[in-house]
Amino acid sequence: MDILQIVGLGLVVCVLAIILRQQKPPMATLLTMTAGVIIFFIMMPQITGVFNILRDLAGQANISMVYMGTILKIAGIAYIADFGSQICRDAGENALASKIEFAAKIIVLVMAVPIIVAVLQSLIKLVP
Amino acid sequence: MGNIDLIFKIAGVGLLTAVLSTLLKEYKKDDYAVLATLGGLTVVLFWVVQLLGNLFDQVKSVFKLF
Repeated sequence: MDILQIVGLGLVVCVLAIILRQQKPPMATLLTMTAGVIIFFIMMPQITGVFNILRDLAGQANISMVYMGTILKIAGIAYIADFGSQICRDAGENALASKIEFAAKIIVLVMAVPIIVAVLQSLIKLVP
Repeated sequence: MGNIDLIFKIAGVGLLTAVLSTLLKEYKKDDYAVLATLGGLTVVLFWVVQLLGNLFDQVKSVFKLF
């Protein structure tokens, strides 16, 4: 499924959503949500392929899986938070969208703290 | 991957409920119009919530988020 089909699908859904938004605005939001999910499902094989390659490289370069796992988790959180907040913004709920992004930033920060601590500790060891 | 037809199902149900509610309003049966809209909306919401459930499971498995 290459980019042409995805763009075609996106344009068709865009037109349908415009029609629906005049008649029934909530239905248009549900339609765009479905389209977002379907496009993610289409891209799933490529994403898993890239992540497997990343894991193998990390394994060979004996980077500990903790850091790589955290990076993948942060990527996942960022994707889902962006998915939700963009849909809320499309529906006109800007306040809700910024609340979702605020929560996502806090979660990412909480996940990044162990890595920051590890870096600082290694730095402190370097300083004589 | 195979559920691209879900988009057209949702669009169809949406348009049907819109037409149905305007039709019912013509016959001065506004309460039925509201019920028809809610009916269509719940059907679509049911499909979309199922799809979102699948999405969250996939994201959990891909990004190892649990």
